Amino acid sequence: MSAAAIPAMDKAPRRPTVLRMLMRDTGGAISLFVVILILLLALFAPWLSPRDPYETDLLAIMQPPDGQYWLGTDGQGRDILARMLYGLQVTLFMGLASLVVGGTIGALVGFLAAFYRRVDGLLMRLMDIMLSFPAILFGLALAAIFGPGLTSVIIALSIATVPLMARIVRSSALVVMGLDYIEAARATGMSDTRLILRHLAPNCLSAIFVFSTLRLGQVILLGSALSFLGLGAQPPVAELGAMAAQGRSFLFIAPHISVIPSVGIFVIVLAFNLLGDALRDALDPRLRI
Amino acid sequence: MLRHAVQRIGLAIPVLFGVLLIGFLLMQVVPTDPATVRAGPQATAEVIAEIRAELGLDAPIYVQFGKYLWRLAQGDLGVSIINNVAVTEELGNTIGPTLELMVSALFWSIPLGIFLGTIAAYWRGSLLDKAIMAVSVAGVSVPVFFLGLVLIWFVGFQWQLLPFTGRGGPLWSMDGILAIILPAVTLGGVFIGPVARMTRTAVVDTLSAEHVRTARAKGLPERLVVLRHALRNALIPVITLIGLQIGFLLGGAVVTETIFSWPGVGRLAVGAILSADFPMAQGTIIVLSLGFILVNLAVDLLYAVLDPRVRQA
Amino acid sequence: MIKTWRRATLGGLAALGLAITAPLFEAGAQTQPRNQITFMREIDSDRYDPHRSTALAGGEIIQMLSDTLVSMDFDMRTIRPGLAERWEVSPDGKTYTFHLRTNVTFCDGKPFTAEDVVYSINRWIGRTTPRVVSPVAWRAGPVKEIRATGPHTVEYELNEPFGELLPQLSQYFGVMVDRATVERLGDNFGVQGFNGTGPYCWGNWTPRSEFVMTRHPTYRWGPPVLQNQGPAHVERIVWRVIPEAAARVAALQAGQADITQFIPEAFWDTMRRVPTIRSSTQPNYFWDVFLGFKVDKPVVSDPVIRRAAHMAVDRVGLTRAVWSGHALPARNIINPNALDYDAQSDAMVPNHDPAAARRMLDEAGWRMGSDGVRVKDGQRASFLMYGITNLTNQRSAEIIQQGLRQVGIEMRVQMFDATVAWGRLATQEFDAYILSYPYISATDAMSLYWHSRNRPSPNRMNWNDPETDAWLEEARRGTDPARRAEVTALIQRRLAEQAPWLTLARTQLTVFSTQRVDGVRAHGLYGIGVYRGLDLRVVR
Repeated sequence: MSAAAIPAMDKAPRRPTVLRMLMRDTGGAISLFVVILILLLALFAPWLSPRDPYETDLLAIMQPPDGQYWLGTDGQGRDILARMLYGLQVTLFMGLASLVVGGTIGALVGFLAAFYRRVDGLLMRLMDIMLSFPAILFGLALAAIFGPGLTSVIIALSIATVPLMARIVRSSALVVMGLDYIEAARATGMSDTRLILRHLAPNCLSAIFVFSTLRLGQVILLGSALSFLGLGAQPPVAELGAMAAQGRSFLFIAPHISVIPSVGIFVIVLAFNLLGDALRDALDPRLRI
Repeated sequence: MLRHAVQRIGLAIPVLFGVLLIGFLLMQVVPTDPATVRAGPQATAEVIAEIRAELGLDAPIYVQFGKYLWRLAQGDLGVSIINNVAVTEELGNTIGPTLELMVSALFWSIPLGIFLGTIAAYWRGSLLDKAIMAVSVAGVSVPVFFLGLVLIWFVGFQWQLLPFTGRGGPLWSMDGILAIILPAVTLGGVFIGPVARMTRTAVVDTLSAEHVRTARAKGLPERLVVLRHALRNALIPVITLIGLQIGFLLGGAVVTETIFSWPGVGRLAVGAILSADFPMAQGTIIVLSLGFILVNLAVDLLYAVLDPRVRQA
Repeated sequence: MIKTWRRATLGGLAALGLAITAPLFEAGAQTQPRNQITFMREIDSDRYDPHRSTALAGGEIIQMLSDTLVSMDFDMRTIRPGLAERWEVSPDGKTYTFHLRTNVTFCDGKPFTAEDVVYSINRWIGRTTPRVVSPVAWRAGPVKEIRATGPHTVEYELNEPFGELLPQLSQYFGVMVDRATVERLGDNFGVQGFNGTGPYCWGNWTPRSEFVMTRHPTYRWGPPVLQNQGPAHVERIVWRVIPEAAARVAALQAGQADITQFIPEAFWDTMRRVPTIRSSTQPNYFWDVFLGFKVDKPVVSDPVIRRAAHMAVDRVGLTRAVWSGHALPARNIINPNALDYDAQSDAMVPNHDPAAARRMLDEAGWRMGSDGVRVKDGQRASFLMYGITNLTNQRSAEIIQQGLRQVGIEMRVQMFDATVAWGRLATQEFDAYILSYPYISATDAMSLYWHSRNRPSPNRMNWNDPETDAWLEEARRGTDPARRAEVTALIQRRLAEQAPWLTLARTQLTVFSTQRVDGVRAHGLYGIGVYRGLDLRVVR
């Protein structure tokens, strides 16, 4: 097997296959559709939203869903549909931001550990230490230090993502490292950076991809829980967890104020989890993520 | 085995250091003046100054810091800025309810999760398997607060079947049992999904293992193969994974305690953070972290005892 | 969709839930011991020391643990006897002589004497050792000396007349404490024990969860404003802290607790329709929510902006939205039912009229900018508001924010948890703030917030007007009621004209109780729902 052959062989046929395999699985197809729909809704929220999410209609307080307000209004007479759309933006941003930040750092650590065996032990012990803290404790501690807010939540979730990503990237990179062609490429005098980018990274992509999809769901779940506790997004910002928390006091009078954002979170997380499962089945069923 | 244990305990030391570091940070980055917090709404500047002196807050930061370390060494976590109660005392009052809640949640969710996971593995590929897995994915995806709010709404409010307003009393009293049902159902509810999934994977894995295949070849019925061989071996990784999921449980417990006004450490922590009660926040975070580290360590060692491969290594 | 969902949940949970729990619940339903009453409240106090606490949560408990020299009637004006049977005021208004009841004892059985009054008041005003710093020591007046002139006679001498003395002494800060207990418990006074003369005695306190008080069996000196002068009908009162509003509502409906005043207004109509629940409302309740402006900060220093804010905020709509109509939309700073309210100033407060606000701002040179915020002399019409995080403030702030945006003023909002907020509110970091406060009369309300001496806190408006100071001092002396009414009216008009404070709503007090108890009548002194608790009785 030549060094150039593997990626070339990989790239051309894989994309359509994955998609086709995803579409064959009902859960995969539906979840892919829902995820795309969620992303589009968030992206086009300003154009789709029927109203300003902050506009208060004092004559329509806590109105249940009806013809005028499709999803009803909250305790301040604000349109829940508009707030859901903008809330989707905030919630997804929170999830993606922490995934990108934590995932990038984690992947880097994973590659380094796999590639430079001398630092492996040290880096992985560090990751083990970080894994000893559950994400919720990072959330609590950062909220205590920097004060409650979206930034604290994103930092906390990023930190919690780092060791997980590092472990996954390291283990899939190690599989490749054992193969002959890496040694061969090294022998040709390829620089380390190039080697990692050209050979190591592409072979970890499916693991990274599957993990990221699943992790996004978890991160959103955690972040919205922190917002629900009042440690995350602060009012009047529309964030799904915070919206659910604000409606909690009126649960018995106007349950829709809490229920709608909660169902929203549930659907988002479910879609990402199902998509992640389907992706794993399609890409590499042996992945343990 | 011994080496493994030593290694694990050795790993716990830097973790412990990390916990204390977070504690240090917490005490140093105090954005609000505790004296004004204590003085209340109608206090004048002189009153605030007097309270500051009373609290020892006029001392330089390194003096306060040194005092803090010394106190920590003596097992004293300080006094709440807000209600003047010793942090250790408050922690002592709240740890019990938190453990109570967690254990009650695990008490029903782990057996049920293992049961569901085993059934799914036994009839793998069937509609039942798909249904169980769908439910468990849903369980992993549902926000704890949503589950809690739905239970409060129906069981607590509409049907008035069970209380949801905090701890009713000790667990051996009727009030205590009634009061813990809804919180335990909520917290356990989000735990079933992961347990069922992990059990199913582990059982399916062991089913393809050598000795299981041998057992099958000997003509044992599949039911016995699953129960006697696969499940027993599958329990080891399940236990470890459950240990790793304790963090997940902890997150759920913080939310559950808040929704159900459960007087536990999680609710105490959130309240302390929101009210900038730094000694209290620090104390709760240190204790929660320590608890988590201990559980992880225990699970690790248990795993070593159970799994012959690690024992030999 | 909701229907199917509900049916599915019902099916699944009902089968499981009913089968397991129904028999258990039957057994657990009658959990309240006979002759015990359970109160529910939202938050706990940090301690129960009348001289180190200013919170309503502290007052609720303390006013049942001990007594004050005088008591306040339900009209919130008339002062009635308390521990003092009668009293005389010297012609110059500086010396009050209190004649105490002779049969009074503390919870531990020790007789109550004039020396206890001297010690208690001196501790309040910071004249005992170790010194206690009460943030509300000023409420005791400009004290010269408190003297025991006999075993049951006390002379209360002031440096200058203080017309508000008796109403102030009726507040919970003026309760009697026992010197021996204070000295024995030290810093733990009000944490581990109390020992007062009140209708109930300290039982057991689990912070943030439960406070238990037991009947003072020999109590016979209750205030004449109540029907029962003692001892209390109920043996035990339990105060449970239930932070969740929804949980309190459900617990009251389910009979798990008996009395609470902490039901959000949104639930009032529903609760009043529940046949098993009774409610009592106090019309003479003075607890207002307001938005104060720092008059020396940019933007809000312009009276035009402040008046425009008055015209931009729809206070009628606000009270309907936030308080579900169970608060009175406010105009003037003082409640019409309070002593020395001035009707004329009411008409001077700008009414809701966004169009007129826009016109007025245009005329004053505040031109609309491209981002929807007005600008004048390079200054954007934008200001920062602070407040305490709670649902009412949050909702009000968001509605005010929208109202102001309609007229081209931007209000940035920052909320802090109650405990942090007081510190932030004592600074000069913000331009406006939202807060609520209780008062008993015009003089009481205004002397705290508007005297220049009280800057920067509680006079967070930085209001500095020599004339207001002079009027306030005259009102505080209050020797001639007619003159006091006159000067307080002058202040009210000045404030109406300058608009440094936008009164948003006058909240109402309603105490809800189950059919199980009787004798619940809303009182509302310092916001406390049930006064002394002597009339409470378990009826079934």
